[in-house]
Amino acid sequence: MSAGHHHERAASAAELRAHALEAVLAERGLVSTDAIDAVVAYYEQDVGPQNGARAVARAWVDDGYRERLLAHPNEALDELGFGGMEGHNMAVVANSETVHNVIVCTLCSCYPWPVLGLPPSWYKSEAYRARVVAEPRAVLREFGLALADDVEVRVWDSSAEMRYLVLPLRPAGSEGLGEEELAARVTRDCMIGTALP
Amino acid sequence: MDGAHDMGGMHGFGPVVEPGGELPYHARWEPRVFALHLVTGFEGLGAGPGGRQTREEMDPASYLAASYFERWTWSAEQRLLRKGTIAPGEVEAMMERLAGGEAAPEHADPAMAERMIARLQRRVPMDPPPADARFAPGDRVRVSRMRPPGHTRCPRYVRGVAGTIERVRGADRLPDLTTYGLAAEPEPVYAVRFASGDVWGPGEEPPFTVLLDLWDSYLEPA
Repeated sequence: MSAGHHHERAASAAELRAHALEAVLAERGLVSTDAIDAVVAYYEQDVGPQNGARAVARAWVDDGYRERLLAHPNEALDELGFGGMEGHNMAVVANSETVHNVIVCTLCSCYPWPVLGLPPSWYKSEAYRARVVAEPRAVLREFGLALADDVEVRVWDSSAEMRYLVLPLRPAGSEGLGEEELAARVTRDCMIGTALP
Repeated sequence: MDGAHDMGGMHGFGPVVEPGGELPYHARWEPRVFALHLVTGFEGLGAGPGGRQTREEMDPASYLAASYFERWTWSAEQRLLRKGTIAPGEVEAMMERLAGGEAAPEHADPAMAERMIARLQRRVPMDPPPADARFAPGDRVRVSRMRPPGHTRCPRYVRGVAGTIERVRGADRLPDLTTYGLAAEPEPVYAVRFASGDVWGPGEEPPFTVLLDLWDSYLEPA
């Protein structure tokens, strides 16, 4: 179900039911259409992986920020204005030459909304939730990421209240790039741990 | 609750990377029902345990057959029914009206929209780590064998497994109790690391590490 087949099979009935639920509440004046619009727009325009990428790029160019981000992630992210729902307790886990981090939520689909926005469909899929805690290298290979055997893979199952952000290694050859150019190199998947910048 | 949602380690779900998987959703109703769930929760229109806990109550066959956003539709509707905000049959009646071509009723309330964004931005961190936490980084612990009838944050795949305290995250009340409105005192929450061999036995991949945040109540000294 990670991609489309569920959606295609069930779209019309599911869509009608969801639509009707909103309509019932709007007709009674209990939920406003503009409140729904505002929440959708918030996660489509204001909050997304561009936030996490800014924090990563800042950490790459500013050692003091990197230290704060790892030691006091909530406060360090707040410096950039990032925080809130599904990011109340942030942990930033740094990749190194010997450690590669990847995040998942096996019980639900918990995800650090304030820094990454809403998760991609594959992150919510049964396949990812089931497999990445049991065979992470096989899953990472599907993403085109082949790690050396001596790299320790650390899988963080964020089924409790902590929400994780992976701090990737700054790519080789990026010494001349400024903070904004660096941020552009940081994809969402780099910060989940299924890609490298 | 040992339901279908607790899927760490299950086989048979196929590949992770599939066409379309990069997108958070594929149709406009999906982010809208997500937003509707948040709004009804913030406005106190739903009852019973939260959305996540309610979704865990889906029977396993329905859970696995439903898409992510169908589960959210289901949990939003269940919570509204339990509170009495909507009556049984009301959604079906509206479905008939909409299917018959009637325009969906809308409602404007800019103040509610502002309340929602403020609520999304509110920070509510857990309490700092207690000074008298039972375990310290480096301590060996074992996850208790248990069979919780309700909501839990302790997945099946680590129960009975020994691991090592990585750090003390903070203090928080046990969701297994607070979900149902039961009293609970704040207790330490630990990041615990487990060796892949201890969790799964020998495997084809080089050894790796699995880490979870676990409440003190889930753990025993090892």
